[in-house]
Amino acid sequence: MFDTGQIFFNAAVTGSLYLLAGTGLTLTYGLSRFPNFAYAEFITFGGYIGYLFLQRADGSLPVALITAFFASGILSVVSYRFCFRPLIDRKAALIPLMIASIALGYVIRYAIGEVWSWSALSYQPVWSAFELGGIRVTALWLYLVGAALLTGTSLHFLLTHTKTGKAIRAIASNPELALVSGINSDRVILFTWFTGAALAGVAGVFRAADTQLFPMLGWDILLIVFAAVILGGIGSFYGLIAAAFILGLVENFGVVLLQAVGLSTEYRMAIAFLVLILVLIVRPKGLAR
Amino acid sequence: MDPLFYVFDTLVFVGIFALLTVSLNLEYGFTGLGNFGKVAFFMAGAYTYALLANQQLPFYLCLTGGAAVAGITGILVTFPALRLREDYLAIVTLSFGEILRIIIKAEEGIAGGVRGIWVPSAFAPLGSMRSLAVANVLLVLCCLAAAFLLAQLLAHSPYGRILRGIREDDVAVQALGKNTVLYKLGVLTAGSAIAGVAGGLFAQYMSFIDPYMFLPLVTFFVWIMLILGGPGNNWGALVGALLVELLNRGTRILKDYLTLPVDPNNLQFILFGLLIILILLYRPQGLLPEGPVKTAARRMFQNAPSA
Repeated sequence: MFDTGQIFFNAAVTGSLYLLAGTGLTLTYGLSRFPNFAYAEFITFGGYIGYLFLQRADGSLPVALITAFFASGILSVVSYRFCFRPLIDRKAALIPLMIASIALGYVIRYAIGEVWSWSALSYQPVWSAFELGGIRVTALWLYLVGAALLTGTSLHFLLTHTKTGKAIRAIASNPELALVSGINSDRVILFTWFTGAALAGVAGVFRAADTQLFPMLGWDILLIVFAAVILGGIGSFYGLIAAAFILGLVENFGVVLLQAVGLSTEYRMAIAFLVLILVLIVRPKGLAR
Repeated sequence: MDPLFYVFDTLVFVGIFALLTVSLNLEYGFTGLGNFGKVAFFMAGAYTYALLANQQLPFYLCLTGGAAVAGITGILVTFPALRLREDYLAIVTLSFGEILRIIIKAEEGIAGGVRGIWVPSAFAPLGSMRSLAVANVLLVLCCLAAAFLLAQLLAHSPYGRILRGIREDDVAVQALGKNTVLYKLGVLTAGSAIAGVAGGLFAQYMSFIDPYMFLPLVTFFVWIMLILGGPGNNWGALVGALLVELLNRGTRILKDYLTLPVDPNNLQFILFGLLIILILLYRPQGLLPEGPVKTAARRMFQNAPSA
């Protein structure tokens, strides 16, 4: 009835995208303890920066990815320094921080709309599909899975084998204790905000290359990414790896199922929402804890 | 357009948004619950109204039905998140706002899908345009007055004091033997029902609704209104709704007279976003800060001659 191998590969591709997009979200959520809805715009911004290089057919994907990495990272650091940090210093509560992140998201989204217009754009290079062991793939998808694997291993190394990584985990589990142990939490938090959003920017380029580029690009996947973050357990990178691929699987099997029963495939989002509600009822702490 | 009609139109929209802001104030201002999916309950009310009105039911029954459906939706959606930290509620309500729109859009059988649905006017028998406009304004303002009184009564009752207690310290209120989940659920039901009434009024007034009228933008506007006006103060909610709606209309009029190097629509949202961040930074209490609770004891204390 359906091609299981293909679905598993598609799930790996979708999961890789959610992993890249969600890593920064879950890490900064764990460190700064509020969900940053402006992450949608960090993703979108990466996509538009990539467009600077990929609007010509001979554009280079690696250059686009690296530039988007730094651009989104810097945008995130600037927004932390000038919007969130001052609020945190003023002891803003959780909900005001969330509202500020939504407001900042609107500022960035409409600024993007102003600069690049609201109509959809597409990258010019084309990644054509070919068969690999009976599965239809494109080079782009392989790069995406590769980028996710690279992110997974290097973040694992960072979190377990470096001082910065240990500091990230220390601040996430007990900020006061981390401070008195002499960890420069300011620098560690800035580093995390940079790296996380930088990966989101990379996700934005992949997403735009795979579909289209428009100012709502990040917002359209943000809620699914949130579902992955909560399923994985807020702040847990390892939980997110599992959750991203579970959501990828659920979504890809779900779409096949939806088509089989004749429902609109627009319900993809509804599937993520269902997962979110189920997690909140059954296991609100997420997979990791 | 006839300037008088423009004034009436403004009043109707201020009233509808003030209803939404008052309902959000109950949830966020008094109880500290971040409902980021206000538009979903607004939409539930609007579509229920539209479907019932197309069955030739009188408008008050349609409004009640809209309120009931929105209220019940509020219970169902928020209950799973209420036992948890407040950010879960925010994410769940935000997601639900998107999902409901997707469902209405995809299911053409329910209410026309993307093509939208026509809503018969409640005051069609009145005939003349002018009496129709007056009736619309009166209906909206009556609903607003009722919701406002209800919110004021709640805020200054023992029930309201428990709500503020939950906002300040959930655990302390639990230690006093109160079931905080039930209180939160009650507030969210009331808030969603009021938003449902606002949705019904909106559908009735617009006489046509489609899913694109219920973007997350609506939620964002209600939050701007409440943050600007002053969370925890019902008068602030009214002032915020009035100011933001006037600002909104002001810029729409200015657009015709000003030529800017940037798209005024983009500029408006960038400025609204910056406005929110600046208010949160420099005046988090809003224009009208939260006042003391009016209790019998306080009144006696105030009336007593100062010694």
